[in-house]
Amino acid sequence: MLLKGKWNGNVYRLERPLGAGSNGQVWLASRGGAPCALKLGLDAADLQGETNVLASLERGSRNRPKFLLDADDARLDGRDIPFYAMRYVPGMPIRKFVRRCGPGAAAAAGGHLLDRLAELHEAGWVFGDLKCDNVLVAPGGQVTLVDYGGATRIGRSVRQFTEIYDRGYWHAGNRTADPAYDWFSAAVLWIHALDGERLMRLTRTLPPKNRHPRELMRLVRTHPHLRHLEMWMRMALEGRFGSTREASRRWRECAARLGGGMPDGIPGWMAGMAAATLALAAVAAVLWFAR
Amino acid sequence: MNQILLITDGQSNVGESPVTAASRALAQDIVVNVIGVVDEGEAGRIGAEEIEGIARAGGGMSRIVQPHMLTQTVQMMTQQTVVGTIRMTVNKELRQLLGVESVAELPPPKRAEVVRMMEELSETTRLRVALLIDASASMRPKLAAVEEAIRDLALSLQSRQGESAVAVFHFPGEDPHVPCVLDLPWTDRVDGLGKLFRGIRMQGTTPTGPALLRVVEYFRETCGNIKEKTEHSLPPRGWEDPDVMESGDVG
Repeated sequence: MLLKGKWNGNVYRLERPLGAGSNGQVWLASRGGAPCALKLGLDAADLQGETNVLASLERGSRNRPKFLLDADDARLDGRDIPFYAMRYVPGMPIRKFVRRCGPGAAAAAGGHLLDRLAELHEAGWVFGDLKCDNVLVAPGGQVTLVDYGGATRIGRSVRQFTEIYDRGYWHAGNRTADPAYDWFSAAVLWIHALDGERLMRLTRTLPPKNRHPRELMRLVRTHPHLRHLEMWMRMALEGRFGSTREASRRWRECAARLGGGMPDGIPGWMAGMAAATLALAAVAAVLWFAR
Repeated sequence: MNQILLITDGQSNVGESPVTAASRALAQDIVVNVIGVVDEGEAGRIGAEEIEGIARAGGGMSRIVQPHMLTQTVQMMTQQTVVGTIRMTVNKELRQLLGVESVAELPPPKRAEVVRMMEELSETTRLRVALLIDASASMRPKLAAVEEAIRDLALSLQSRQGESAVAVFHFPGEDPHVPCVLDLPWTDRVDGLGKLFRGIRMQGTTPTGPALLRVVEYFRETCGNIKEKTEHSLPPRGWEDPDVMESGDVG
């Protein structure tokens, strides 16, 4: 199917749908043979809000390759459909990526994710609707944020959020956009990615008045991988980092303990032995350096 | 911008028609939204047509949902009403100034600018939402969900840059001549909400119309009389150590 922009005149060939966001569909497309992704919106004003965010980020980062390529309307079935074109980034949602590559892969991806967030925060924006589905990881571990429908200027009320990732839902703060809002969602994202079933069960069974970050910390402490991240999780849920760069630095310190990828299903005692071996190796290394 | 949000699970059976009452609200620039809240298998009891009729007359929207969807629905309706009202105003201006029907007809650069302005207005415009809660006997098991939805709405309003406030009424009153009772006057604080409906004696009648009219009157009485936004209304972000509140605040 071909799509022609009404204002700028570019022609796109729609190849296949990549997914549906909160306010439209994303398609893999090509323009003059070059691949790109197209987001077709349901509502012009709604999609323009998102385009405005992307355009504003673009202005702040001149040295990077362009992400937002075009914004236009196209006539489809007798209606004007607003759309924008963006760079196509291959990758899979972070939860699937971690399940396939093991928790060790989470260590690297988590660091990259926080670097992306740091760039956004330094430009004056909060991502807002941070969740597993909105974080794509390329095979090399590079992280891309997709669906900027929740992106909000720091100081304003978050435009769009997902309940279980929202600190307001957990009685842990308001919905005014600040970097800590994204840290909180990032912490929930890792619980969702590594311990999704227990998280879902908790949200189904916990009475609303008992929602509290301590319930999330309970999951963290009793999970074989998440417990290595306890310190980071606590700081993220409490909003205690000095900056997102610090959050990223501390993540790398904590997440190193996730190791080189212990696949799921390894009995606890074996994982424990591996940890003990690592600890011994670390002691040995320290001794060796101390000589 | 003024809104009434009616949450009910039944049909009105006393006094003026709620549809007439809603059109009177709209005539005073108060939009009326309606949520019918039902448990599974209870859907037949609710007056779906009446709910739709009230919302249409009140310039708002209506939904029938189960209690666990209440919080999201309250959020969605309130926000969409704000956005919708601003769009209507802006589109009217565009018609008069530029002769186009809506923002979608503008070329992209102009559209970008107008949308930026609409978002600015949605965030900063003064907003008051009065919740009118049906407290007839059948609502009793749903009141916890209603309270949570009110807390959540208050939290979102408090997070806006513009001045915002909620007020809460329930109906009917204990006296047959009192169609509804004010539980919480205009407030912009979440932490003061507490238990809203403790000790209510649930009654049998459902005077939806008279209760709506009473809330419209309340808007008239209190117009321009909302408490100033207080300096500090955030719930603490560090919930274990009071000292960490400052360090978490990097916004």
